[in-house]
Order: sequence, then structure tokens, then C-alpha cells
Amino acid sequence: MNSENTTNSKIYTVSELSYRIKNNLENSFSGIWIEGEVSNFYFHNKKHMYFDLKDENSKIKIVMFYQNNHKLIFDIEEGLHIIVNGYISVYEKRGEYQLIASDARPVGKGSLILAFEQLKEKLLKKGYFDEEIKKRIPLLPQKIGVATARGGAVLKDIVSVLRSRSDNFHLVVRDVNVGGTTSAGDICEAIEDLCEYGVDTIIIARGGGSLEDLWAFNSEELALKIHDCPIPLISAVGHQTDYTISDFVADLRAATPSVAAENVMLDKKKMVLDLKKIRSGIEERISSRNRSRKDQLGFLIDRKYFRKPLTLLNKAYQDTGELSRDIAGSISSVAKGKRLRYKHQASRLEPEKIRGRIKSHKLLLRNTGMRWSNSFLKHKDNRKNKLGSSLINLEKSNPVAILKRGFSVAFDENTDRAIKSIRDTGIGKIIRLLLKDGTLKAKVMEVDNKIPEIGNKSENR
Amino acid sequence: MKIDELSFEEALSKLEEVVKDLEKEDISLEDSMTRFETGIKLSSHALRKLNEAEEKIEELTRSEDGKLVSKELEVNTDS
Repeated sequence: MNSENTTNSKIYTVSELSYRIKNNLENSFSGIWIEGEVSNFYFHNKKHMYFDLKDENSKIKIVMFYQNNHKLIFDIEEGLHIIVNGYISVYEKRGEYQLIASDARPVGKGSLILAFEQLKEKLLKKGYFDEEIKKRIPLLPQKIGVATARGGAVLKDIVSVLRSRSDNFHLVVRDVNVGGTTSAGDICEAIEDLCEYGVDTIIIARGGGSLEDLWAFNSEELALKIHDCPIPLISAVGHQTDYTISDFVADLRAATPSVAAENVMLDKKKMVLDLKKIRSGIEERISSRNRSRKDQLGFLIDRKYFRKPLTLLNKAYQDTGELSRDIAGSISSVAKGKRLRYKHQASRLEPEKIRGRIKSHKLLLRNTGMRWSNSFLKHKDNRKNKLGSSLINLEKSNPVAILKRGFSVAFDENTDRAIKSIRDTGIGKIIRLLLKDGTLKAKVMEVDNKIPEIGNKSENR
Repeated sequence: MKIDELSFEEALSKLEEVVKDLEKEDISLEDSMTRFETGIKLSSHALRKLNEAEEKIEELTRSEDGKLVSKELEVNTDS
């Protein structure tokens, strides 16, 4: 019976039918778009992608081969809502059909934005943005490397900011084709070159543009390069509102290229100011100290007992100790203030004002510096002609000068403490005498509690 | 320690050390003298560092045989 019936209709072989179905489906469903949610995602050897696309009631198998999926800028992941372009194909061996995908796009937001978010999330998890791994930008960069377009406005901006803040800087420019999607590699190469050439700070910079224009700075390749870069790096891309992956990975993000230039020169200027403050602080202390000391001396001089060199030496010693403490105090308080001010600097910067201030500070510093180095390092005669009264005061306060005037100080050999009283030592003890040109080792032969009248004797002669 | 060879930051951190030493209660007179002198030299050196070198802008390129070469670059910022 059955065999009779079947002779009326065509009998297919399995292969024949499969072939016809395949033809039908592939012809009817080519170049179609399908929307759904990704599930059962499997990335075989990081080459071919296999996943299902599903909605409430159905699902369909999707294959996306390497030659198509490597062009995607975002990652396909579980649960992602996407549209996929491709054609239906039948896998005859298993009698299964699936969609061979040639393209995919996220639904609800652009691919670029999605890719940006995905990479950001990934690098964040890897710890690439951690504050602890950020390198400090040097206080005084000696050689600043900048990777940007050599003929662009960005370079001009950077140079003019540097010029407005300093007469002396060393900039190394590495031209890059900033813009377009090909430039991530260029920027990576530029970073390598600058590292090899030897700079101590790197700025990667470009002007504003669309998300597409800035895309190179959102590439994983560049992010890894920045992360591995041994030299402190500043990312200065686009305008204030543009954030790129490079900005997050870099040791410092500057809102614009000009700000990057301000950042590298800011610290230098600050240091000039701080050093100037430290020095003038010291100077003030010294002159006020000397004024009061002079008064004391005037008072003492009238008393015969105090006209002894030994007493004066003792006094000088005390003054020196106090002076050192004062200096130390003034330096450390300036240093503390400095740290606080780091945080508030940026808002205070107005190029013209700063420039004027810097110049006058520099001049002041130069003068102060000259006086100091003269006073401590140069010959006396020279010094006296050149320097004012404050310097003479300074010289008096210099502990070394006390020795130069012919006094010496005794130290206990064991404790290394200055011997300020006969009670600080004893017969047989070894002491060291510090003089202007060296030390003497001596043994205490006798202890006498009377003070020799050296001053009077010499006056009498 | 050769002060002349110190970088700016090294000089500053040494200066900080000097300051800390000077703050110590038990510092000997001899030590305080050497520290004092060192401190002056350090701050002079740091200032010198701040003012050294003229403006220099160079451009870095790779020659055909792959070597890094640099040449002066003029950047006009007038206008």
C-alpha cells in the first residue's frame, strides 16, 4: 500500500532535500538584519564566535567568523542587545540552520560609545586606572617629550604656554598623524621613540573633535602602551569635556593641551617661589636674630666679667644652635605650606601676572643666591666690598665663621657632644678640638674652675 | 655626595634631609655646621638648576635605517 502511494510523489534522498532546503533558505534570507539578545556566547579560540540570538519565544543560532568579527570595535557579550546582519545557512551534516553574521551593532547606543564603555570597564577591573600606579610628574622636567602633529595648532598652544612661563625649557616633538583610526599605532610608536630618546615627561596631545576623531585615544593598544610606559605621561586630548581611555590610563589628565603645558611648567614656577620663600625666611630670621643679639652684646660688654672670649664663644654656640633651629623651622613650615598649596595652584594661575611675578622673583633669587654663595664660599675681601650689612650679620651667624675668627670648640671623643662646661669632661678624658682647618685630639690634663683673664691680659699689653 | 651632579629633585630631597637633621635636638655642633653648609650649597644648586639651559625645541624622527635623529624645530607663536 505504502509503496504504491509513494510512487505518485517524488522521493528525495536526505541529501537532495537538504540541498533544496539550503538553497531555498539561503536565497530567501540573505542580507537580512535580525534583532535579539545574545545568549550562550562562545568565542572559540578567540577566533570564531558562536552564540544564540533570542527573544521571548524563539532563538536562532548565529556564527560570526574571524574575518568579520575582528572588525567589530565593541565586544559581543552575554545579554547584549544587538542587531546582526547576515544570511541563513544550512549545515547539512546535522540538518541545522544558522545565521552567518557579517556585521553586528549594539541597539540603543552607538558602537563607539559601547566600545568605550566596555574597554573602560575592562581596564578598570585590571587596575589600569589605579591611583597607586600613577607616576609623579617631575617637579622640574629637564626634557619634555610631546607626541602631536608637528604643524598643528596644538603644538603652538603648548609652546606659547611654555614660553609665557619660562625662558628655558627643552621640548622634544615627535610628529604623529593624530586623527583617523590608524593613528593609535603612530602614537604608540611616538611614545616608544620618546622613551628611547630619553625624555623625563611625555605629553600626548591633540585638539578637539568628534568621538570618531578622537578614537585613537580610546584604543586598547594605546592604553596598554601608556600603562607600560616607564616615563610619566600626560594625556591632553580634545576639549575640557572630552574624556578618553588614554586620559584614564595616563599619569595625569590635562583638560586641554594648553593645560598640559601649564602642568609641566607650573611646578617649576612654584619651586622658584618656594625656594625664594625659604631663603628670604632664613634671611629675615638671621637679621632679626642679629639685631637682638647685638642688643644683648651691648649690654654684656659693659660687664667686665663677660668680656672673656670663652664666654663669648659659649654664647655664639648657643646662638648657632638656636639659629639652626630657626632656619629649620622656617624651611619646614614653608615646605608644609607648599604641599597644601599644590592643590590650590591651578586656580590661581594667570599667565601675565605669573610671568611678571616670576621675573621679579628670579631677580630676587639671583641676588639672594649670589649673596649667600659669596658669603659662604668666596673670599672675605671680595665679600666685604660687595655685600651690605645684612650679609655681614649673616656671616657672623655662620657657625663656620666662628672658627675662622680663631675660636675652637671641644668635643667629647666618645659622646661627640660639645664640651660647654668643665663638668662635661674630666682628667684623662680624650677630647677633640675643632678648629677652622681641622681637628686636634687631646687629653685633659687638668681641670681648673677659674676662668683665665685672657681679655684683660691682652688689653694690658 | 657630589652636589653638582644631583638632579633638582635629589637636591630638594637632600635639602629636606638637612632640614630634618637640623631639627634634631641632639645634633652635635660639628654636624650642624656641616649640615648648614651643605644646605646652602644644595639650595644654590637647586636654584642654578631652575635657571639653567636655554629654550630648545627639537623634532624627533627616524632615519631610513631606523635610527632616531633629532633636528631643531622652529615654532612661531607670534600672532
